[in-house]
Amino acid sequence: MTSRRDLFIDLSVELTGYSRVQLLGTGMSERYLQALDEVLPDGMVDEFLATSAALPTMTIDAILRSETWGPVTRNIMILWYCGRWTALPDSWRAVHGTRPADSNHVISADSYQAGLQWVAAGAHPAGARQQGFGAWTVAPEEAAS
Amino acid sequence: MSEHRSDERANGIDDAQHDVVVVGAGIAGSLVAKRLTQAGFSVLVLEAGPATAAAFDDYSNHVQAFYAATSKGPESAWPPAAGVPQPDTADIRTGDGYFVQAGPLPYGSTYTRLQGGSTLHWLGVSLRMLPEDFQLQSSYGVGRDWPLDYWALEPFYGEAEHEIGVAADVVDQTHLGLEFAPGYDYPMHRIPPSYSDRLLAAAVDGMTVNLGEDQLALKVRNYPAARNSMPRGDYRPVGAVDQRRAGQGDGHGLARDLGQRCAGNTACTPICPIQAKYNAGKTLAQADGRTLQVVAQAVASKIQLDPVTGEVRGIEYQRYDDPASARHTVHVARGRVYVLAAHAIENAKLMLASGLGSASGMLGRNLMDHPSIYGWGLASHPVGPYRGPLSTSGIDDLRGGPFRARHAALRVDVGNDGWRAPTGAPDSTVTDAVANRGLFGTALREHLRSTLSRHVRFSLNVEQLPSRSNRVSIDPRYVDLLGNPRPVINYDIDEYTLAGMAAAKRVYQEVFRRAGIKDCTDPEQGVWFPSVAYQGDTLHYHGMGHFAGTHVMGNDPAQSVVDTDQRCWEHRNLFLVGSGSFPTMGTSNPTLTLAALALRTARHLAKELST
Repeated sequence: MTSRRDLFIDLSVELTGYSRVQLLGTGMSERYLQALDEVLPDGMVDEFLATSAALPTMTIDAILRSETWGPVTRNIMILWYCGRWTALPDSWRAVHGTRPADSNHVISADSYQAGLQWVAAGAHPAGARQQGFGAWTVAPEEAAS
Repeated sequence: MSEHRSDERANGIDDAQHDVVVVGAGIAGSLVAKRLTQAGFSVLVLEAGPATAAAFDDYSNHVQAFYAATSKGPESAWPPAAGVPQPDTADIRTGDGYFVQAGPLPYGSTYTRLQGGSTLHWLGVSLRMLPEDFQLQSSYGVGRDWPLDYWALEPFYGEAEHEIGVAADVVDQTHLGLEFAPGYDYPMHRIPPSYSDRLLAAAVDGMTVNLGEDQLALKVRNYPAARNSMPRGDYRPVGAVDQRRAGQGDGHGLARDLGQRCAGNTACTPICPIQAKYNAGKTLAQADGRTLQVVAQAVASKIQLDPVTGEVRGIEYQRYDDPASARHTVHVARGRVYVLAAHAIENAKLMLASGLGSASGMLGRNLMDHPSIYGWGLASHPVGPYRGPLSTSGIDDLRGGPFRARHAALRVDVGNDGWRAPTGAPDSTVTDAVANRGLFGTALREHLRSTLSRHVRFSLNVEQLPSRSNRVSIDPRYVDLLGNPRPVINYDIDEYTLAGMAAAKRVYQEVFRRAGIKDCTDPEQGVWFPSVAYQGDTLHYHGMGHFAGTHVMGNDPAQSVVDTDQRCWEHRNLFLVGSGSFPTMGTSNPTLTLAALALRTARHLAKELST
C-alpha cells in the first residue's frame, strides 16, 4: 500500500512541477504533511490524499475547481514554494470549521529556506545559503540557457 | 513598579563617577566610547535595549527569528523589549504603534532600540554629503546652511570610512564637486557591481533627463558600502562580533574567521547573517575594555541639572532584568560630561521629558526623512535578481545641480533584490501565479522561472528640507510601559519635496523605457505604503529610516540646539550627537555623516577632558 507521504509527494510533483527527488531533497515533506494534519479537520487529509490518488482519472484542474479541495491544493503549492501556510478563505472555514493552526505563518526557519521559489528564481533564500563573494557579478544560469 | 536604589551595588552597577556617560550603544555612541576609552578616559554606556547582538550565538538566534518571521520587514529580526518599544513598519498603516502619528501625513521610517542600534538592519550605504549640500541656502536659496563646510568634515569622513569599513573606489566617487584628500582612498576596494548593474549601465549610461531647465546625463555608479570587500593596503576587514559573557569564549570580542567578506546573503536589511556588513557592535568591541563599562537594559529617563550652574549632574535610568517585563529599578549615572547618542528621536524625547533645551524653540523640530518612491518592472531578459547585497549601484547624477532652487534632489538606488521590498516577492509572485493565474505544475514552475529572473526594482530617495512644523514632541497622555513618553510625530511633505518625488517618478519611467524594462509599478497591488496627492497624481512613499534634524546644529543659540561640536548651547557639559544635529540632509544616507560628526566631537572631547 502506498504510504501517506508517497501519496502526498506524488500529488506535489503534479502541483509544483518539481520531481520527487527534488521535493524529498527539501527535507520538508513530513513537516508539510504534519502541517496539513494540524490545519484540516480529522480525517480530511486522508480523504484528500485518496482523492488525489485517483489521478490521472481525476485531474488537477478538477481538484482546483473543487470548493473543498481547491483552496487546500493552492495552499499546498504555496507551502512548497514559500514554506508558509496561508489562512484558508472564510467561505471554506464556514463549511469545514477552523483550526488554530490555520493562520498566515511560516512553518519554520527551515521551511523558509527550503522554498522552491528561490530555486525557480535561480537564486538563494535571502539571508541563507550564501553564494560567496562576488557571485552576484556572474550571469545567472537563466541568461545562458 | 519601580523603586529607587541608593545602594546600586546590589545590581552590580556602581555609582562611581565616570569621565563620560554615553546614552545609546548605536554607531554614534560606540564611536565616542571607542575613541575616548582609547584616550584613557572612563566611559559608561547606557543602552536601553538588550545586548543580544553581542555574542554570536545570540546573534544567530536573531537570524533564525528572521527566517521564521511571517513578515520579513526591517524589524522582523529585532523584536524590542517590553519596556523599550520601537517603531515598526507594520504600524504605519494601523497608526497605533510606538509613534503617535499626529499627521497630517504618516512618518514612514523606523529604528531599532537594541545594543547596536539601527546599524543592525541598515543597508550600509555610506555616501558622503556633497559640498553643495552644506550650503543649500547660500547656493540655492532653500533650507539652511550648515555651520561647517565640507572641508571641515572631510578628514572625519575619511576617519569614519576606516572605522566603519567602507568599500568603494575614490575614482568612482569624484563627481558633483565631491573631492577627497590627496592620495586618499577607501579602506577596501568597491563591492563588485551586480550582473544586473552592468546590464543597466550598458543600456542607460549617457542618457539624459530634464529636471526643470537642467539637462542631466545619467550614469550607473557603484556606491560606497559598509560591507567587507577586498582590503586596500594593510587594512584588515573586521568580521563578526562575538563578545561572550564572562567565562565563555576565548576572550576576543571579534570572531576571527567570519564575515571578512560579503558573501551575498541578500539580506543586509533586516540582518546580515555573517556580519560582513558593519554594525555598531564592531566598534564597541574595539573600545578599551579597561575603562569601558556598558550597561544594557538601562533606559535613560531623565537628565538631572545642577540648578546653580545649569550643567548636567546626572542621568537617571531604569534598569530591567527581564526584557519581557516592565519591572525595573531606578539609578543615576554620573560623569564629567554627558553624550546623548540615542537616536534623533530619542535624544529629543529625553531632552523634552527632562524639560531641557527649550530656549531656541528648535528642539524636536526640523524632523526630516527621505520620502521615497518605488518603481518596479520586468527586464526583457534574465538579470539575476535575488542575489548579492540588496543593492550595489545607484544613479547619483540627480543629487546636485541648479534645479535644487526649484525642487528636491534625488538619488536612485538600483536593487539586486527583485520586487521584494515593493511587493513582497518572491512570495507574492507565487501567490499571484497560483491564486490569480490558476497555474500549477510545470507551467507554474516555468512562469516563476521566467518572471522572477527578470524582476527589477528602483528606489528613488528624495531630499526633504527642514521645516519647523515637522517635529517630535511629547504629550503626557502617551507613555510606554516604563512611563516614558512615546514620540508624537507631526509630519508633512512640502511642495519642494513633492515636486522632487514627481520628478523621481518621471525619471524611473524614462530609465525603464530606455533600458527596455516593462514598467509594472502598481502601488495598489504592492505592499501598502502611505500616499500623498500631488497635481492629480497619487504618490506612494516609503521612509528610508533617515531621521534627521531634531536638535539642529548652528552658530546662533537662538536658532539652534547644539553648536558645531554638538555641544548643547544651554548645558555646557551635555552633547547631543547623531543625525539630529543635521541642519539639512541632502540625498546622502545619514549614517556616514553622523559618524564623521561623532568622531569630530570625540576628538574635541578628548582634548577638553585632558585640560
